[in-house]
Amino acid sequence: MVVFRITPEGMHPAADSLEPLVEGLNLNREWLAKIPIDNLVALFADFAGKILRDPRTKSLEGCMFLSAWLGENNLRQLLQLNLNGNPAYLDGFQPLGRNYLAAKPQGLAAMWMAGNVATLPMFSLVPALLAKNVCLMKLADPDPAGMDKLLAVLAEAQAGELRGAELLEAVAVIWFDYHNRALNEQMSLAADVKIVWGGAEAIRAISALPRREHCGEIVFGPKYSIGLIDRERLEGDPAKLEDAVAGFVRDISVFDQRACSAPQTIFLERNAKRSLREVGEIFARQFAKLPPKPGLDSYTTMQIANVRARWAMDENRDVIASTDGANWTVCLDRELALKEAVQSRTIFLTEIEAWRDIIPLLSPKVQTVGLAFGRSEDALEFAEAAARAGVARCVRPGIMNNYESPWDGKLLINHLVRWVTLKL
Amino acid sequence: MPHEPLDIDQQVEDLIRGPQYALPQAEKDRVLLDVLRERCHKIALVCPAYGRFLDRLGTPPETWRSLADVPLLPVAMFKHFFLTAVPPSEIVRELHSSSTSGQRPSRIPIDKTTAFRQTRALASILKEHLGGQRRPYLVLDAAESAAAGDTLSARGAAIRGVGNFASQTFFALRKTPEGDLESDWPAIEDFFRKYAAQPILLFGFTFMVWTRFVERAEERNLQFNASQAILLHSGGWKKLAARAVSKEQFNRRTAAVLGCSPEAILDFYGMIEQVGTVFVDCASGNKHAPAFADVVIRRPHTLEPVAVGEAGIIEVLSTLPASYPGQAILTEDQGVLLGVDDCPCGRKGSYFRFTKRIEQAEARGCGDTFAQAREI
Repeated sequence: MVVFRITPEGMHPAADSLEPLVEGLNLNREWLAKIPIDNLVALFADFAGKILRDPRTKSLEGCMFLSAWLGENNLRQLLQLNLNGNPAYLDGFQPLGRNYLAAKPQGLAAMWMAGNVATLPMFSLVPALLAKNVCLMKLADPDPAGMDKLLAVLAEAQAGELRGAELLEAVAVIWFDYHNRALNEQMSLAADVKIVWGGAEAIRAISALPRREHCGEIVFGPKYSIGLIDRERLEGDPAKLEDAVAGFVRDISVFDQRACSAPQTIFLERNAKRSLREVGEIFARQFAKLPPKPGLDSYTTMQIANVRARWAMDENRDVIASTDGANWTVCLDRELALKEAVQSRTIFLTEIEAWRDIIPLLSPKVQTVGLAFGRSEDALEFAEAAARAGVARCVRPGIMNNYESPWDGKLLINHLVRWVTLKL
Repeated sequence: MPHEPLDIDQQVEDLIRGPQYALPQAEKDRVLLDVLRERCHKIALVCPAYGRFLDRLGTPPETWRSLADVPLLPVAMFKHFFLTAVPPSEIVRELHSSSTSGQRPSRIPIDKTTAFRQTRALASILKEHLGGQRRPYLVLDAAESAAAGDTLSARGAAIRGVGNFASQTFFALRKTPEGDLESDWPAIEDFFRKYAAQPILLFGFTFMVWTRFVERAEERNLQFNASQAILLHSGGWKKLAARAVSKEQFNRRTAAVLGCSPEAILDFYGMIEQVGTVFVDCASGNKHAPAFADVVIRRPHTLEPVAVGEAGIIEVLSTLPASYPGQAILTEDQGVLLGVDDCPCGRKGSYFRFTKRIEQAEARGCGDTFAQAREI
């Protein structure tokens, strides 16, 4: 067996081909399409409460945010934003002027997940189910990293007559070796819509797979995120600066800085009050408050040792690093560039003359900019320029990793439905 | 705290001259720490980049209590900086690593003192494995690889270093017009015809030994009946592992071609950044540090020394370098610490096995945007 299935019971060998799984999923298309959207929202709201209480899921990284995101109010807002203000389009034709409009599922949503964030699969699965698509989801790693536990809790969720276990009949979460081209092709050809999360190499490979003519593709990643602190914030109220830095440090520490929304380089304007080193020390103090990382692989340890030494040895750079191994690192320089991401609590603080200097660095590769601006007029002006350059989000420090819609400039649920008109 | 006057040059000389595997670890720690403390302090005074490294990331030398306290310099720094502790006029040779995938090579400045020590240190180590007798020497490489000049590659340095045990030197490979290397069978067969009956020495890089000599000889059904041969080899196992060739298989089949015991096939671990300091396999297949050097295996994340039986990142320490800060180098290799002072072969000190090069284990997600350009 080369295809493994992840179910509430864990991971087990399932098949040598995707065919039986796809056939099984397609049998559920009609049934799923008929579930009222209110019932689906209520079921996920029940799931939201359960994951915070259930010992299997409550300590998963990102669980708290996932629960808030699954809340009824949030999902309703999400649906409204994605569905032209009226989620009822998902339940059938709704009057629009003198005609009618409906949002129908694409069919089978095939999802290739990245392995960097444990809860990420849910941010792909739930929108696809809200759009009433049957889902074939391939995880990046053979270790389900908590997805089996989330599925187990979802199976126990209930809203009226609708039970989570029933809904999971419309879902197959699987893993197979990514080198297996035949299975990747089968998955791509079975799809009515493809969702791909991951790094550049994965995206290129999956996009190159054959697909049916009508099948669309929604790509998330690869992206790089940054922070920006303006002169007013640096020279102003120390407590506000401390808050901003604490927010950035939270953004850096969540998911070990592997999410595309985690800042890797933070730019700060040269100012009369605080030197680059002094700001670095504020970051260092905030990092020191974090609990130690649970562990680290040899490769990342080596990368961290390398970047520390490079910044330490260079007369034009500086570094502040934890003394307890490769726990956290603050690299200081004045090089106007997006630094190669090292991740795992490694931040590059770059002093610049003025915030406008970084505009040329912005492109669609930059996803999120964490903004700590004292002057809101400047923040707006920066956001306009950044958005024109291709940046997807400008948010305050501390919420950079909060998954929201739109994400990467896309309203995901909107892409997961087909808009159908009726004119009588 | 003032340093006690210490003639570290004399100490290093004594370590090179003395027996290589006789010092118990505790005693070795003490002797090497004194030398390294003094040497690092001196180099920091004349090599500004290394001085900044110690200032910003290290602790003052006088506070070092064990070899594990000596600040670790990642080996990649020799690619990013030209780290020299001597003026250009005193550099007699520059060693270069092989640069793969367009990366910058390491550049290691060698002065007369360091060059002299490296040669004698390697000789001192190999003497314990080969005995004092010079032997006919067959290099499983091409003559061009060891050509003399102001710069020298890792391959060249190793070929020439082992060559100190040669009574006469022969080369088993030749360059093709396309720049590849091929076996020079007339030269090889002539070598064995003349010398197979006496103690001989062979050296080559592991992958080339296998692909250009052992496999080709097996295809030709050649066996050389060289029962007194010793083959030294060095280099990565990655390409052989990809061909599913284990170390045991390598030793067995190579020994069968040569006609010697598999125990005469000796792998050694070393690097261009610490020429002269090699960690040679003993009969039990373990690698030992010579008297003037040591190894510390570090846990990922905390970088603390591992316990016996634990795997980690290999750090190599050496008292040989005087012209550059190569005293404590964090390698890009992984190994496992197998014991201290109690190897069945009788050698003292820490002993270990190399396991693999450190590589990126997994896709690091959508935040790993510029992975293709990774060079840090």
